[in-house]
Amino acid sequence: MSETSVAAPADLAELRAMLSAVAGPINFIGGGTDMLIAGRPMPAVGLLIDLSRIAGMAFICADDGGIRVGGATTVAAIAAHRGIATRLPALAEAAAQCGSVQIRNRATIGGNIANAAPAADLVPVLVAAKARLGCIGRDGASRELAICDYAPDRGFLIAEVILPRDGLLPRSAFVKLGPRLDLSISRLNIALLAEFQDGRFGDVRIAAGALGPRPLRLRIAEAALAGRKLEHATLRDFLAALAADVDAAIPGRNSQAYKRRAISGLGLDLIAQAVGLSPRDQLFEDVVQ
Amino acid sequence: MKVSLEINGQAVETEVSAALRLSRFLRDVLGLTGVKEGCCEGECGACTVLLDGKPINSCLMLTFQAAGREVTTVEGLDGSSGLQDAFLQLGAVQCGYCTPGMLVAAEGLLLDKSSPSEAEIRHALAGNICRCTGFETIVQAVAAHAATREGACR
Repeated sequence: MSETSVAAPADLAELRAMLSAVAGPINFIGGGTDMLIAGRPMPAVGLLIDLSRIAGMAFICADDGGIRVGGATTVAAIAAHRGIATRLPALAEAAAQCGSVQIRNRATIGGNIANAAPAADLVPVLVAAKARLGCIGRDGASRELAICDYAPDRGFLIAEVILPRDGLLPRSAFVKLGPRLDLSISRLNIALLAEFQDGRFGDVRIAAGALGPRPLRLRIAEAALAGRKLEHATLRDFLAALAADVDAAIPGRNSQAYKRRAISGLGLDLIAQAVGLSPRDQLFEDVVQ
Repeated sequence: MKVSLEINGQAVETEVSAALRLSRFLRDVLGLTGVKEGCCEGECGACTVLLDGKPINSCLMLTFQAAGREVTTVEGLDGSSGLQDAFLQLGAVQCGYCTPGMLVAAEGLLLDKSSPSEAEIRHALAGNICRCTGFETIVQAVAAHAATREGACR
């Protein structure tokens, strides 16, 4: 058995050429924060390609159209980016709450997707924003797919995350619940993108993590908010809908009883963040009475 | 494979195996034992080093990935800066195992933000676990040092 060899291509052109030229197994390493955890097997053979220094894979472009984020962009860079904080605050919030300083400085958005953890913090935001992935196949060619169609075992490298303009909505929020405030793997996380004007919701998209093998849209909760005025009755319907979404997602699981209740508190925090109210606003206090 | 990088201001060129973690390279090959490998999963922060001035977990990085970059361990921090004295004076050290990682993470914070609030200090040190002190004195030490450093800059 031959030992693993490593490569650190300087740019995307070199990477593409390498992918199509190398016959044996290829593995990728980005920030390594999920891959190098003790006890997880390291690739024993083939070529290990370092993505963390490739020019053209770490960038954020949030101009007037959509947002594009290079696959090897660090979570810290996303958390600190002014354009993302303006255009999609939920993504900045999810990035800021992901791991610790040390992890955010190395972890990448592409890795957060490719690691395919059910509780990945960035992914619910990307699902709610209808993100598309610009991938590179083993033949070195580009292809684009919806984030929901991505599977880590298909051999596609995530070169960039594309957030099309029509997927973004004016308001967004992200909240998570974990065993501690920082450096915690989410027990539940929720992202919301919404239109909200004159006290009324328009289009609403909500996705949650840690409610199944991969983050999923909460369609019942979306329907409970869409087109409705922000008032007690709407919020009560919304909380009932969130519980119904949990019941539909994890029927019979041990955590169902806990999560169907816990999601109420998270849901109200989510609304508060999206519409710019304090989570302690009387409106929310009244609803949980 | 051959790797060149800068460690604590010194150029280092060395032969490393593909799977060698940066933490093991620093400890076992270079003898920089201030780097502790506690959990090896990014939870404890005892292996924290600065990579181009930013705190990272050296256990979660392969040595070859650090080629061409600057790594700073606790041995490379300026001992005369007063951060370490502040830890000693405020009793922010008990068993000492977490201390190098705490110092490096705190230094990373202060490079980024010269006068952090208490909440910012706690957030910046959230990736470093101390089983002894209850964190209170560590936060106080970083705050006290930040205040004197800030004063000295004016």
